[in-house]
Amino acid sequence: MSQSPVMERRSPDAGVEGHGPAETAFIRIDGARKVFTQRSGGAVPVLDNVDLAIAENEFVSFIGRSGCGKTTLLNMIAGLEDVSAGRIAIAGKVVTGPGQGQGVVFQQHALFPWLTAVDNVAFGFHKSGLAKAERRRRALDLLALVGLEAAAGRYPREMSGGMQQRVSIARALALDPQILLMDEPFGALDELTRIELQQELLRIWEARRKTIVFVTHSISEALMLSDRIVLLAPNPGRIKRIFPVDLPRPRLRTDPGFNALYQAIWNELST
Amino acid sequence: MKPLSRLSAASDLTLGLIGAILAVAAWEISARTGLVDPAIFPSPSLAIRAAAERLTAETVADNLFWSLLRVFSGFLLGALAGAAVGIAAGWYRGFGAIARPLIELLRPIPPLAWIPLAIIWFGLGEPSKFFIIFLGAFFPVVTAAYQGMRSIDPMLLKAAQTFGLSGVPLLLRVAVPAAAPDLATGVRIGWGLSFGVLVAAELIAADRGLGYMIINERNTGGSVGVIVVGILLIGALNLITDAAIGAAIKRWIGRWHGA
Amino acid sequence: MTRKLVQALPPLAAFTVLLLLWEAGVRYGFLKPYQFPPVSRIARGFVELSTTGFPTGVSIWSHALTTILRVLQGYGAALALAIPLGLVIGALPVVDKLTAPLIVFCRSVATLSLLPLVIVWFGAGELTKVFLIGYGCFWVMLSNVIAGVRYVDPTLVRAARTFGLKGLELYRSVVLPAALPRIFAGARMALGVGFMVIVGAEMIGTIEGLGALIMEARTFYRSEITIIGMLVIGLIGFTISAGLMALERAMLPWAGNLDRVRR
Ligand SMILES: Nc1ncnc2c1ncn2[C@@H]1O[C@H](COP(=O)(O)OP(=O)(O)O)[C@@H](O)[C@H]1O
Ligand SMILES: [Mg+2]
Repeated sequence: MSQSPVMERRSPDAGVEGHGPAETAFIRIDGARKVFTQRSGGAVPVLDNVDLAIAENEFVSFIGRSGCGKTTLLNMIAGLEDVSAGRIAIAGKVVTGPGQGQGVVFQQHALFPWLTAVDNVAFGFHKSGLAKAERRRRALDLLALVGLEAAAGRYPREMSGGMQQRVSIARALALDPQILLMDEPFGALDELTRIELQQELLRIWEARRKTIVFVTHSISEALMLSDRIVLLAPNPGRIKRIFPVDLPRPRLRTDPGFNALYQAIWNELST
Repeated sequence: MKPLSRLSAASDLTLGLIGAILAVAAWEISARTGLVDPAIFPSPSLAIRAAAERLTAETVADNLFWSLLRVFSGFLLGALAGAAVGIAAGWYRGFGAIARPLIELLRPIPPLAWIPLAIIWFGLGEPSKFFIIFLGAFFPVVTAAYQGMRSIDPMLLKAAQTFGLSGVPLLLRVAVPAAAPDLATGVRIGWGLSFGVLVAAELIAADRGLGYMIINERNTGGSVGVIVVGILLIGALNLITDAAIGAAIKRWIGRWHGA
Repeated sequence: MTRKLVQALPPLAAFTVLLLLWEAGVRYGFLKPYQFPPVSRIARGFVELSTTGFPTGVSIWSHALTTILRVLQGYGAALALAIPLGLVIGALPVVDKLTAPLIVFCRSVATLSLLPLVIVWFGAGELTKVFLIGYGCFWVMLSNVIAGVRYVDPTLVRAARTFGLKGLELYRSVVLPAALPRIFAGARMALGVGFMVIVGAEMIGTIEGLGALIMEARTFYRSEITIIGMLVIGLIGFTISAGLMALERAMLPWAGNLDRVRR
């Protein structure tokens, strides 16, 4: 939980802020490593030397076998996990903690069970300095955006998985974040709800111009949504390959281009 | 669904009532027929008659008042202290590392075993009773609060951090509510223990209260009926207050926690 | 290993500091030695208790033995009655509903409040103490056994039915094992009740047993003996409870810990 300052390891040739090929990068990950220290004292390298530049308004997906460090990398961008070495910057500013424009949607909905849907969303405004009534009004607006105004008074345990995940998206949007970090947000949902929410997410992304980093283990989900798909390999986690997805939206699963990419990613994943 | 479950709840209640009536009837009959000696175990009707003769409403009310005052004050402060210490021990590692072993060392000592020491420290008056009732509430609540804090889903804390919450606001707005269900269980156990401790303390060293009322009846060679009524009264009081606390807890967290 | 040592260091240090402060506080007159007997005095008291005894001739070990035997008799009798009875009541929903309020009420009766009545029945001797312990343990155990049997996961029962199990066989091979963790939890809870009751019961009308020891020592202004007695009570309770937990782990290696089971 503690947020010790990020350790920086800048090699002399890494250059000054803003130079290099990823000049236009909005999120910049340079040589990021993560080592977990275990209770027994041993050190486990989980991410090794990750370099990645993500442009503003880009939709990027991380895909890879479970345990390859997707969640860890996402949490590092969110500022919830320290970077052991290397650095991560958002709009040129090194990430030192949460609250630098990152909104997070977690794998399990992570709603506060003691708050109703609208209060959960209003929680996102608590640093805004808005009056209570105003927070509530805006929270209701956000619930309407995800189609849940009717369920405003329900507690999380009184909602289905899909509704819970919609509420967490609305809550993350309360910060009006420039970046939306989503960790397998639809992983636990049934196929129908999942497709619905994917479409809704694309709608929000286009309407509100967000940069989205999206973790999934579903190839077709990544293909439906992303501009680029980053494939991670395990032990220790590293970027194996990046697939640009140059298919026009709305995308169709029956598109031959879709299938070709699906096959290519499948091959890369299974070797 | 709803009418059906209400129906079955009603029939549960009826069956329970029938069972209770049967039990009381069996007790009455066995005392009347001489199956048990009414001098040592009087029938309910006899006991009530004896109690009505020997006790005035005023005496009962006075003893009841003292018992309730003791148990509420001791419980309230014990539960508050237990919650504060348990929450702090779960949240602040350094404090937990020192406080926990001390608590674990003292926890296996039953609250009643503190009676002599309480008398040594505070004399025979009210403070010593307050102290052991306090302990009766403190240990279950402190244990439950600590366990509740340690089993918070870290995801909730992370989610709150993404909204810029940290430090004391994170503790009060997220960690404490998340630990509330465990805390509530501890409070309920603490109430039961406080109540048991109260009665014992009044039996062993007191000059008023319901516990004193019944032991005094026996020491002055009074009526067994009064003792029986006193025991039932104490039991009913425990049952009612426990149900009230259960209902309060349900109002507090029931809607979001289920249960 | 070294990590564990490092972790144990701060509490040990805090504890030592506390004891030293205590000792110093008494020596320099801030604390009354009668109210806060210093460690050195407690240590001397312990030697006296384990050799000469208090009152003379009755050592701490014989007090402890007396208490343990009383608890075990009442506890054993309660378990022997409550387990079979609970298994039957739990299996018969109508009986369970008939008896539920009665059991709740009997459990609510503060065990020690029965003392004046039980003295009338059995006098102030051994039987009274054993009965009180038995009463306290019995209702706690009974309600846990019933709950254990009643609230077995219905999916488990349905799954067993698909294999053709029913009646007594279903009960023996599915319901009973599934109820065991709760039964063990009840057994541990009941033991706690037993120790609570015995300490109270021994404070009235007896000079043997740990409860009597700590009360008696107070009237003779021997507070160090009171404290030793308390620590021994705690130690015994802790040891037996840890033993039960180990037994539970050995007998039910598949079960999680039910420490936080709702009462
Ligand atoms: N707090 C931690 N301590 C030690 N190892 C961890 C911790 N968190 C995650 N790991 C390990 O790091 C690796 C990557 O985990 P994670 O990022 O959750 O993977 P993914 O999300 O891709 O499934 C896993 O092998 C996991 O066991
Ligand atoms: Mg993950």
